[in-house]
Amino acid sequence: MTAITAPETNEKKSFLNVERILLLLAGVFLLVNFFALAFIRSGFGITDALQLVVWVVCAAAGQWWLERRLPRRDMLLFPIAMFLSGWGLLLINRLTQPFADRQTVWLVISVGVMMLVAGFPHPLRWLRNYRYILLMIGLVLLVGTIILGRNPSGFADAPQLWLGIGSVFFQPSEALKIILVAFLASYLAEQYPALRAEEMSGGRRFLNVSPRIYGPILLMWGMSVVILVWQRDLGTAILFFIVFLVLLYVASGSTFILASGAALILIAGVVAYKLFAVVELRVDIWLNPWPEADGRAFQIVQSLLAFAAGGIFGQGIGQGSPGYIPVTHSDFIFAAIAEEWGLLGIIVVITCIAVIVTRGLRIAISQRPQSFLSLLAAGLSMLIAVQSLMIMAGVLKVIPLTGVTLPFLSYGGSSLLISFIIIGLLLRLSASED
Amino acid sequence: MTTETILFLLRVGSGIILMLVLLALFIILWRDYRSAVTGVEANRRIYGQLIELKEIDGRYLETGTTYPLLSLTSLGRSPTNAIPIHDTFASGEHAMVALRNGHWWLEDRQSRNGTTLNEVMIHRPAIITDGDIIGVGNTRYRMELEQ
Repeated sequence: MTAITAPETNEKKSFLNVERILLLLAGVFLLVNFFALAFIRSGFGITDALQLVVWVVCAAAGQWWLERRLPRRDMLLFPIAMFLSGWGLLLINRLTQPFADRQTVWLVISVGVMMLVAGFPHPLRWLRNYRYILLMIGLVLLVGTIILGRNPSGFADAPQLWLGIGSVFFQPSEALKIILVAFLASYLAEQYPALRAEEMSGGRRFLNVSPRIYGPILLMWGMSVVILVWQRDLGTAILFFIVFLVLLYVASGSTFILASGAALILIAGVVAYKLFAVVELRVDIWLNPWPEADGRAFQIVQSLLAFAAGGIFGQGIGQGSPGYIPVTHSDFIFAAIAEEWGLLGIIVVITCIAVIVTRGLRIAISQRPQSFLSLLAAGLSMLIAVQSLMIMAGVLKVIPLTGVTLPFLSYGGSSLLISFIIIGLLLRLSASED
Repeated sequence: MTTETILFLLRVGSGIILMLVLLALFIILWRDYRSAVTGVEANRRIYGQLIELKEIDGRYLETGTTYPLLSLTSLGRSPTNAIPIHDTFASGEHAMVALRNGHWWLEDRQSRNGTTLNEVMIHRPAIITDGDIIGVGNTRYRMELEQ
């Protein structure tokens, strides 16, 4: 596992920096678990070995490239992203072996794109200057998905959120996340003086809220409604809206925005409950899944049983039975971790995601003089935070289930790619050039 | 060794690695936090400090309280001062120590009971240096400059 070698780049510093220690630990973890998996399957396939090798190469190449390009970057983001994505690869191999090869290819693409983002000159200025073009692309993608959308599984009933060319599918709403956060960050950075002046007016804030503030709220609210109505994509709709609300709150510092936004979500939730069967189903089985444990609530009940079966240290890889949960490899991958690595595994996953988010927010604080960079960092880390919280709490039946992926871990190329682009942008922001 | 033993050992191994990951993250974040804190404190303590003293039988005893010397340190009874003094002999805005043109100046701010420098009442701003004793009311401060 000493593939992580780049001695010529830093001869003065010690070989083991923070990044390499964590990557090494992640590599050993993957090796041990792949080994156990091979024992259970009584055979180590050539593709399994290949996946591990690909992961090691990705980690080594990424580390070497970042060391060269961004020597003053945040040292925690990349190794944690690699650790989680490697764990995800392992899980997909264990749960649905045929999908693992595809995910491996996506991992290579994702790390490659992240390296591009980290090495590309001035990606942040680019994001800011061409924001209307980016927004147009995003809206075209959204409309295109509404018209031409398909579902790779082929069921006529399933939400059609993918655009496909041949057998390659991509989920445009994932790309829309970054585009919209970048757009909103640059819009709010431009309106910063106005937003802050609004705050200064103090007591009369309720009376003279300008369209500068509620304009974007209503726009984003409308967009979330469109996604919900035409695409029946509850998770993405809520995710978008919460992230925008938080961004607006960060930019303006006004609690009135948080309160009114929360009220809008509640209103939208009640209306959606009455109108859409999918929302009604999710809320009903959240309130009480047990009467329908064999029917509509089968998935969530099996997920809860998986958590119970995991205990503190888990059943061990390949020794639990997360296969009972439908689509474990994407939405319910958190339950699979709970069953096979137990409470310990869950604590590690939550810690890792929390570290990514807090580092992101720290970068936002350190970039505070430049409001666009600061808002961008805050928005990107909130994307990961809200999305992870939604699916983790949903799988645990803390909140109604909303089908979003767990960043880095879930099966899904677009999700992995976008998560790595977010890491690339955060690394770029942490190096504070540009 | 049976397959079960090997699998059990591998399970233990993977659990230990997970704990090591947690430990490593904890140590890294803790060290990062410490270095951030010392960075902030280092920024504040470039100049030196003012050590609070009490005069008892002609000798100065340290009370154990020290204040960082800022480029502009205000002394007085009002809590907005950099060094708040709980002493009825001190005025609200009593005195200040400021760095101007490479010298430290002690200035009385028209206080009712005056400010002393080495037990001598001052009437106009005076240059002070390492080891000087500033007196406000019944409290004394020894100036210690960072070399």
